Amino acid sequence: MERSEGNIKKKNPVLECRNVGRSFDSYDGKGKNEVLRGMNFEVYENEFLVLFGAGQCGKTTLLNILAGLDMPTEGEVYANGEKVSGPAPERGFVYQKTSLFPWMTVEDNVGFGPKVRHLPEKECKERIRKYLDLVGLTGFEKSYPSQLSGGMRQRVGIARAYANEPDIMFMDEPFGHLDAQTRYMMEEELQRIWQQEKRTVIFVTNNIEEALFLADRIILLTNCPTHIKQEYSITMQRPRDYVDPEFLRLRQLITDNMDLTL
Amino acid sequence: MIDSTTNSRFTNKQLIIIYTIISLVCLLIVWELVARFTSASMFLPPASEVLTAFFRSFAEPIGQHTMLFHVGISLYRVAVAFLFATVIGIALGVGMGYSRLFEAIFKPLFEFIRPIPPLAWIPLSILWFGLSDTGKFFIIFLGCFCFITVNTYDGAKNVDPELMGAARMLGANERQVFFKIVLPSSVPYIFAGLQIAVTAGWSAVVGAEMIQSNEGVGWVIIRGMSTGNTVQIMVGIVAIGIVGFILANLTSALERRLCAWNAQKGI
Repeated sequence: MERSEGNIKKKNPVLECRNVGRSFDSYDGKGKNEVLRGMNFEVYENEFLVLFGAGQCGKTTLLNILAGLDMPTEGEVYANGEKVSGPAPERGFVYQKTSLFPWMTVEDNVGFGPKVRHLPEKECKERIRKYLDLVGLTGFEKSYPSQLSGGMRQRVGIARAYANEPDIMFMDEPFGHLDAQTRYMMEEELQRIWQQEKRTVIFVTNNIEEALFLADRIILLTNCPTHIKQEYSITMQRPRDYVDPEFLRLRQLITDNMDLTL
Repeated sequence: MIDSTTNSRFTNKQLIIIYTIISLVCLLIVWELVARFTSASMFLPPASEVLTAFFRSFAEPIGQHTMLFHVGISLYRVAVAFLFATVIGIALGVGMGYSRLFEAIFKPLFEFIRPIPPLAWIPLSILWFGLSDTGKFFIIFLGCFCFITVNTYDGAKNVDPELMGAARMLGANERQVFFKIVLPSSVPYIFAGLQIAVTAGWSAVVGAEMIQSNEGVGWVIIRGMSTGNTVQIMVGIVAIGIVGFILANLTSALERRLCAWNAQKGI
């Protein structure tokens, strides 16, 4: 499926990041550790945006701020024109550790969002069925997370975020804990799921292959204090091939631009 | 050695039971020999005599009642006190673990009461509650309530903040976060607390029954002491030990059932 630049509606951004900075008190309490500085970018409807950078560079901090789980010390984030002031079900989050509720079955995990928001029983059931089907886990409704493999748990995590039908999905290195084979498979699965149920996705990773395989646009981040170094529009046809010459060229280009010092 | 590689006619489960029996039999033999052939015999009745008296106590009454009644009345006292301790302990523990304000109000008070041994309250409890069962409930309550509170508090403090964040992100309000995340995720800790507490409560029963009583396993021991009947003391001790063992096993079986999700730690 061809997705060119023109498919993305550039006019109305779903999420705007305005001059966002974040500092933490240093350990002795006297100074400040600046983690993020002057982040400015927009995310457009149904865009797959990848925030890419080396480990420990504050990507998770940035994602938490965008999602409303953490507050910036400078600047603002706007979602659909409104200032983000806390977590909200319009924004879904997929965690690296999956963070499934271990005492709940798969269906209770997926149905958690609709249920706490008091959607009608029938609607909850329908969403559980629909999104478990979307991630390919029909038949595992009554299982507990501890009975599933790593890849299956992350499928539940994705279904749980989808079940709230959010405008924006945040994914914090969701495949970081998986082994290489499962990771490739999950990347393909995520691409299939995203093409089937289009959402705006902001995806954090430190893996260049993963970034190139999934992204419409890659934002390259530098190390502390993190700021934007470069943006790349990826217009390759999907599904992408890891050994395609264009893929390898972009891989080389972006890796060369990476800031590997801490 | 007990491990899965042992090439034996017995399964691991059978081996564990066999070793337990051997250990118990050895204990009884040593006890019997020491009591019969050393100077300790003056204070320690031999195992055979104690066990005979123990089994006889189910048919012949000690004081006015048989052993089953003594055990029953003591269990009833522990059960009532334990029930109160569970409700108050869980409420206090979860509250302190979840709310800073609650913690600031109750933690100092709790930490002050915690190290006081339950027996130290006996004189006061006689003044406050007289010689009724209420005083005994009070002592047993103090014997087990702290363990439940401390463990629940630990559990509520150790809730994965990411799970709470995930719940909020999915639209849960603070009340829902508390009842759907904080409370269930503390359940394994609460059970560990209940398990210690049930044994602690059962051991506090002896102290509680030192307060004027006419029945109960604690009374059996105290009565044995005041009449210089060492066999009766040992019979009481054996009864307490056996019931305590059964209680501990029952609670851990219950835990395995209710916390099945916790068997393997999910990532």
